Amino acid sequence: MNKFFMSLLVCGLSINSAYAFDFQQELKNAQSLGQELKAKRDAVQAPLKASGLTGYSESEEIAIGRQIAGNLLGAAPLVKDAALQKYVNNIGRWVASQSERPDLPWHFGVIDSNDLNAFSAPGGYIFVTRGLYKLLKDEAELAGVLGHEIGHVIRKHHLKLLQQGNVLQMGSDALSKQAGGNEQIGKLIGSGAEIVARSLDKDAEYEADRIGVVLAARAGYDAYGLPQVLQEIGHTAANDDSVALLFKTHPLPEARLSQLGDVMDSRFDGLKGQTLAKRLVKIK
Amino acid sequence: MKRTLLAACILMLATQFAYAADSGTTIKTDNLRAEPYQDAKNLTTLNKGSQVSILKIQGGWLQIQSGKTKGWIRMLSVRRDAARSKVTSASSLSKLAAGRSGTGKIVATTGIRGLNEEELKAAHYDAAQVAQVESYASSKSAAQQFALKGKLVAQRVDYLPAAGGEK
Repeated sequence: MNKFFMSLLVCGLSINSAYAFDFQQELKNAQSLGQELKAKRDAVQAPLKASGLTGYSESEEIAIGRQIAGNLLGAAPLVKDAALQKYVNNIGRWVASQSERPDLPWHFGVIDSNDLNAFSAPGGYIFVTRGLYKLLKDEAELAGVLGHEIGHVIRKHHLKLLQQGNVLQMGSDALSKQAGGNEQIGKLIGSGAEIVARSLDKDAEYEADRIGVVLAARAGYDAYGLPQVLQEIGHTAANDDSVALLFKTHPLPEARLSQLGDVMDSRFDGLKGQTLAKRLVKIK
Repeated sequence: MKRTLLAACILMLATQFAYAADSGTTIKTDNLRAEPYQDAKNLTTLNKGSQVSILKIQGGWLQIQSGKTKGWIRMLSVRRDAARSKVTSASSLSKLAAGRSGTGKIVATTGIRGLNEEELKAAHYDAAQVAQVESYASSKSAAQQFALKGKLVAQRVDYLPAAGGEK
């Protein structure tokens, strides 16, 4: 019985992946030839639904993430400090290089918000708020925070959220409105950067925490950077505006620390990671 | 200029003070050890809920004082609680220095004060900002060079299993 289902599933998957390739092409066409889209509607609709089952190609993933990043930057622009931004990209890229997706076009930024938060979008767009950056005491803490967000990207947490919620809707009504390429993605991700305000499954957050400490440790940093930051965030009053969104979308720091404590245990005892407090670029 | 310096000094002092005066509560029963190592001599066992003073942080360990005993305990066995008030005062000082609190004396340098769902929903794509963030990208090799400068050495570390055992 199970085996039968399995083979049905495999069969379905292989058909769908053939469609997914078409989808990418269709997406390109749609971008350059927006007005012809209506005529192609029927041809595109089925593959769109199919792609929800098989996952997006890497270029689709990046296009989706880029749109989300652009929308988020529309709400909170980059802090105007090129040295700081380049620094964060160096650290982030080095930490991401320790993951199984080292060759994504990773992008990192510090955005102008006093909130304590960090965001990731598919394809490797990662942002830390000015407020959170200010809390950091050393480079290992930055590495841990970026590592958590890199964890969301490599495990495609947001992409999965989008797939679960929106793709069927996208197939049926996005195209009927003759949307252009970017608007198509816009339909998928909802309004603006709303997706980053949506909660992931709390297990996805715990998973990202575990990945964050591991990637930071692999990169040669003290593995306890992320836990340190969580301790610090835990000192912020729960009713403080700066943590409203963070606490709404994540398990509380205490729960995250307790989970990390259980799994980190003595596993990092043999490692001598660096904190590099002196190298941390201060934010103006 | 002088004022900024003064504010920075106060901020530094406040931060240091908060550190030295940190205290906490154990969130689970754990051993207090003579050195920050798993197999270091066990001095005593602290029950969950014990009050401790935090003296120093090193890797995943805290040097603490509990009663008359001084020793090391795993960082994640302790919640730094009494630091709350002190750290808060340090951070409100930093808010002040950054013009974040509403004293009116210092004009805020940033327009954005909080990200909420409505703001995020209403956000519009900013192509110039995307171009900007992409211009700051670091290549894999450039990032590696930067890591080398910091004497960071890549380590082999396995991913952690989920708490409770499931993957």
